[in-house]
This record gives sequence, C-alpha cells and structure tokens, in this order.
Amino acid sequence: MPAQATSTDAASRPDFIQVDQFSFHYGPKQALFDIHMDIPEHQVTALIGPSGCGKSTLLRNLNRMNDLIEGVRHEGDIRIGGTSLYDPSVEVISLRKRVGMVFQKYNPFAKSIYENVVFSLRVAGRGRKTELDETVERALTDAALWDEVKDRLHDSAFGLSGGQQQRLCIARAIANQPEILLMDEPCAALDPLATLRIEDLIIGLKQRYTIVIVTHNMEQATRCSDRTAFLYMGKLVEYGPTLAMFERPKEPQTEAYITGRFS
Amino acid sequence: MTSPHILQDFDHAITTFRGELLSMAGKARHNLERAIRALLERNEELANAVIADDNDVDDHERRIDELGMEILTRFHPLASDLRLVISAMKISGNLERISDHATNIAKRARKMSARAEIQEITLIEPLYTLADQLLRDAIASFTDHDARLGASLHDRDKELDRMHKSVTAVYGERIENQNGRSEDYLHLILVVRSLERVGDLAVNIGEDAVFLEAAKDLRHSKDRSIS
Repeated sequence: MPAQATSTDAASRPDFIQVDQFSFHYGPKQALFDIHMDIPEHQVTALIGPSGCGKSTLLRNLNRMNDLIEGVRHEGDIRIGGTSLYDPSVEVISLRKRVGMVFQKYNPFAKSIYENVVFSLRVAGRGRKTELDETVERALTDAALWDEVKDRLHDSAFGLSGGQQQRLCIARAIANQPEILLMDEPCAALDPLATLRIEDLIIGLKQRYTIVIVTHNMEQATRCSDRTAFLYMGKLVEYGPTLAMFERPKEPQTEAYITGRFS
Repeated sequence: MTSPHILQDFDHAITTFRGELLSMAGKARHNLERAIRALLERNEELANAVIADDNDVDDHERRIDELGMEILTRFHPLASDLRLVISAMKISGNLERISDHATNIAKRARKMSARAEIQEITLIEPLYTLADQLLRDAIASFTDHDARLGASLHDRDKELDRMHKSVTAVYGERIENQNGRSEDYLHLILVVRSLERVGDLAVNIGEDAVFLEAAKDLRHSKDRSIS
C-alpha cells in the first residue's frame, strides 16, 4: 500500500489544524469566504484550484505570513492544536517556528550549506557547536540531502543543483523542528526527476510533520497527498480523501477542474 | 452532456476511442445475430463469414487497448475521464469474448448444416432474443451513461439462466434417448451455453457502465444499488 494511502496514526489528531469559518480580505478585496476545514496531523493535505482561487492565501494564513501585508483583515479563526493563531498570547515569531515554510522558488541564502541550515538557530542565539552540528546532520538527513553534501558542508549553497537547493530549503525549514510544514508549489521550478525526489521526501516527512502543500500539479497531489481541498474563487468547493476526489469527485465544479473542462 | 475539454486534442482522442468501441460493439452484436441465423437457416456461407469477421473484432480490441494506453499516457485522465478509459478497455474484452462465442456458434452451425434438420433447434430462438436484448441494453447503458439500465441486467440475466437450464435439459434428454443425433444435440447444448455466457458478459458490460456513470463497483456485490 502506498504511503499516502495509509490511515492516520491512532495517536494523531484528525483536527490538528482547524480552519473555522475563516474569511480573509486584502483591503476591499475578499480573498477567502467562510473556509471551514480540519487538517489532520501527520498527513499531507494538498490545496488545489485555479490561479487566484485563494489557496496560497489560505496557506500563508496558517503561519500568519499575510500579517505582513498592509490592510488585511480576517473573520473566523484558525487553531493549531486547539489554540487560536490570533490568541493574544501567541507570538508570531514563535508561531513561525512551529510552522515552517518552503516556497516555490528555492531561495537559499548566500552562505554555506551548513550556515543555511543553522541560520534560524543562530538568529535565536543558539550557537553551541555540538547542537549546530547535530541539527545540520538531522535536518539534512531528514531532507534526504545529507549523503550528497556531508563532505562539502562549508561550500556555497549556490553550488548545489536546483533540486538540491530546494531540499536544502526544506532542511532549513525543519531545522527548528516545526510541527507543520507549509509548501507553496515547492516543485514548480524543478525538473521531473528532482520533483519526484521532493515528492518522495514529502511522503517520508509526514511521519514527523503535518504538511500542507499548494500545487498546480494534480498528478503531484494524487501521488503524495492524503487529502485534497479544491478551492474556487475563494470558496472551499470540496475537501476529502485524495484518491476518492480524483476518482469520483462529488461536486461538478471539482470534476470540471480536474478533468480539464474548467473555463 | 459534459462540456468539452480545454485541450481539444483530448476530446478528439476520446471521440475516436468511443467510436472504436461502439463500432466493435456493433460488429460483435452483428456477428452473434448472423451466427444464430446461420444456425437456424443452415447457411454455411454465412457461418464462414462470421468466422472470418471475428478477426476484425480482435483488431478492434487491440486498437482500443492502443488508444486507451495513448490517452492514459498523453492526457493523464482523472475522474470520469479515467473511468471512461478503464471501463471501455474492460468492455472491449467482453465484446471480444462475445464475438468468440458467435464464432463458436458459427462453427457448430457449419457442422450441422450438412445434416438433417432438428426441429427442436427453434428452442434456441427465445434464448437468442433475450441474450441480444441484454447485449443491446448493456451497450446502450454505456453509450447513454444509463447506470440504472446497466444495473438492471443482473436480474434480467436470471431469466436467461433459467431458459438455459430448461433447454439444456430438453436436449440432454434427447441424447439420453440415443436417437442417433447425439452429436447434433451436444452442439445445440453448447450453443445454448454460449448464449448463456453472452448474457453474463452483457451483465459485465452493464456493471462497467455503472462504474463509468456512478463510480460504483457492483461486481460480486450483494448491494446492487447504484446511488
């Protein structure tokens, strides 16, 4: 049985992330309408939909990245492990340690492989060499990159291939051991083989992290996600187990989109 | 009627694929009809034509497999498109077997045409009529996306099974009576058996039509509801 088809561990929470009647506005423009969905722990949840449907907006709300944009506001709530992201006690910086993010275009810093991985630890003032070394090995191993770079950790990150640079960004995102990993089209700039390596990595990473991925690639969603949400014009049209959705979608809009009949 | 794909070539490929299957279905059904006519009318020439034309149905099956593979490879179909490719490829296998049964009947018709007529050969006609109705409706359930019609075939096939048993018993009795025509009655028993199998294959096609339209797998299932 493929890894993505396995059921949730008994110990994992089916409603680890709760998006509760959540609406979001960029100034006068409403981007999300009353989104309601539970995202299970230790599973891969894919957000799909046409450009402008709100999937990246929803993703970036899961670690309050959108707070950086002027004029935004929201209604409803998002909770992680039962705690609202908007609770006054929640510090955005510590939230982003719990919720790591990987972007479409790999963006390593102009530093060595080693320094990229430990960057957030150094910023946090954690500079003890033993801890940094252990973190580098663990994060690069988890990102399936250790064997390829262990002999050149102090070389520039820019010397890596595109796929390796993206895996380095994943290693950087998990260096702080977040609970959740957000991925915004992480393979959009990669060739097919590098894409498959990232997908293989995603399937393995869900054992330790809860992963939410935005993708335009529906084959990618079918290959590596457990659940899929289809958004259209800021609304959640359908959300359910990935294989069921791609074999027999319930909503005509979903059927039209995934069969390429959408206009 | 579903709206067209944005990728027009996908629609062209699906249209060609469906057309190939419908052409195959028409030929398989025509072969069965001609095989029975060759048997009842003792027409050796017609029987030979059916046997020769089976190759044409085999070619359709290969072509459908090629087109199905091409669609899977080029367009990565999902949802109803994926179910269409899977169900059509399975239906073509069932149609090929129906045409094989027509060929078997034609071969028996050819052997029997040189010998004196058996009056009780007419017992075959109602079986053929029902088998052909089941086959016609099975094909229609696929072409018309009619899951209800497809699901109805399972129960309707029971009547064909009952007729098969009854007519086989009559022919079996004649063999036991040793009237010197045992070989011909054995041929007729096997013709009846072929028609009963055509009914089963029509049920399979109906189940594929249900899978296409309702995304439900009725095979070996006690729950025959399609909703």
